[in-house]
Amino acid sequence: MSVKVMVMDDSPFSRMMISEALTENGYEVVGEVDTLEDLLETYATCKPDLVTMDIAMPGADGFECSRELRMHDPKAKIILVSSMKDEETEAEAKRIGVSGYIQKPIDAETLVKVINNIMSPDSLYEKLMERGFDTFKEALAQNVTRMAKTPVAFTEMGITDDPYMSQGITTVIGIIGQSTGTMIMDLSIESAEKIAEAILRRPAKNRDEVLAMVSELANIIAGIACSMLNKKEKAFSLRVSPPSLFHGNTAEITSPSVKIHQFLAATDFGDIFLGVGFKKGSVLWM
Amino acid sequence: MDVNMINPILCAFAEIIPQIGFQTVQKKNLSLVGPTFTYDGVLINLSVIGPIKGVIMIGMDNDSAKRFASKMMMGMEVVEFDKLAQSAVSEMGNMVCANACTQYSKIGVTGLDISPPILMIGQGGQATLPVPQTIVIHFLVDDINIKVYVGLV
Repeated sequence: MSVKVMVMDDSPFSRMMISEALTENGYEVVGEVDTLEDLLETYATCKPDLVTMDIAMPGADGFECSRELRMHDPKAKIILVSSMKDEETEAEAKRIGVSGYIQKPIDAETLVKVINNIMSPDSLYEKLMERGFDTFKEALAQNVTRMAKTPVAFTEMGITDDPYMSQGITTVIGIIGQSTGTMIMDLSIESAEKIAEAILRRPAKNRDEVLAMVSELANIIAGIACSMLNKKEKAFSLRVSPPSLFHGNTAEITSPSVKIHQFLAATDFGDIFLGVGFKKGSVLWM
Repeated sequence: MDVNMINPILCAFAEIIPQIGFQTVQKKNLSLVGPTFTYDGVLINLSVIGPIKGVIMIGMDNDSAKRFASKMMMGMEVVEFDKLAQSAVSEMGNMVCANACTQYSKIGVTGLDISPPILMIGQGGQATLPVPQTIVIHFLVDDINIKVYVGLV
C-alpha cells in the first residue's frame, strides 16, 4: 500500500512540483491545501500518512499550521519543505515536533529518503546496530596496532545494562547524530603505562602523560569509528564529544538508558574494555 | 568558559527539579577548579556536542543519591542504589541537560545535543574533564547536596 501524502503550500506551482515528485516516486497525493482551515478539514477527511508543509504562507505560516495540526493529531507526521532553512527555523521545527525538513528546490531523491526514514524510522538505527559495533572494534584494533604495535583479539562479553567494574582508567565519549550513544574504553593503569611506553618509545614521565595518552587514544578510536560509519551512511551524521576521564579509585560504570555492547580486546599489554551503545534518535533532517 | 554561560544550566536546574518532586532549589555557591576533581558516590556524565562542547556532570554521595531517587519515585523506599534508582537519577540528569540545551538556544546557542547519561559509582575516584577549568555549582535541593560540574568550551 502506497504512502498517502498531503501537500500544503500557498504556491500552486510548488504544490504541482511536490505532488509530481511524490507521484513519480510511488506515493499517493491525497490532498492539496493552502490555508489552515483547509488543512484541518482535509486532513480529517483524507487521513494522510504525512503532510509536506511550506513555511512562508499568507495567514497562518507553516509553524503555526504544524502546531495546530499536531494539537489536532499529536501523531501527525510533518515534513517542512521550504526555501528557508537555518538554525533558528530548524530549532523551532524541532520544538514543534516536525519529523523532517527539506530545503526548496526539492530534490526527489532527498524527498524519498526523508519519507522512507520517517515511515520506517527504525531502518537507519538497525543499520547502525548491524555495522556500528564491528566498526568500533575495527577502529580500536587498527589504531592500537598502529600506535602501540600489538596484535588485538576480541572477546564478546554480551549486550547488557549491567555495570562494568573499572580496571583503573575509564574514558567516556558521547556520540550524537541520527542516533545518540556512548563509547566507553577502560583499561588498567599498568596496561595504560605499557601502551604509553610503546607509543612514546620511553616510559611515561608521570600519570598525567599516561592519562593524556588514554584520552587521546579513545578520542581517535571514537572519531575514526564515527567517520567510517558516516562514510558508509551519510544519514548517520555521527559526531563525538571530547572525552571524560575517570581514574584513581575503582568505580562501577553503568548506562541506565542504553544497553552497552561489551567487548574485551586482548593485547600484549593487557586487556582493553570497549563498550558501545546507541539509542534511537530523531528521524532524518536534510 | 565565561561564567555567565552557566546561566542556562542554572535555569534548567531551577525549572526541572521542582517538576520531579522537590520543593526547593537553592544555589549555595559557585567555584572554579581545574580539569580534575575527586568525587565520592555517584557522578552522572552527560556529554554535550554542538557550537559549545564538553561535559556536564552531576554528583552526589551515595546516601543523597538514594534519597534523591526516593523523592523522584514519590517517597518509595530506596535501600540500595539499584537499577531503578540509577535510572531515576540518570533521567534527572537527562532532563536537566536537555532543558539546558533549550535554555542555550534562547540565548542564541542553537544546535546543542546531549548523549545518553553514563553513571560512575565509586569512592575517592577522580574525574578529568576535557577543559582547562571546571565550574562547580553547589545546589541544595530540599536537604540534598548536589554538585554540578560544568566543563564546556
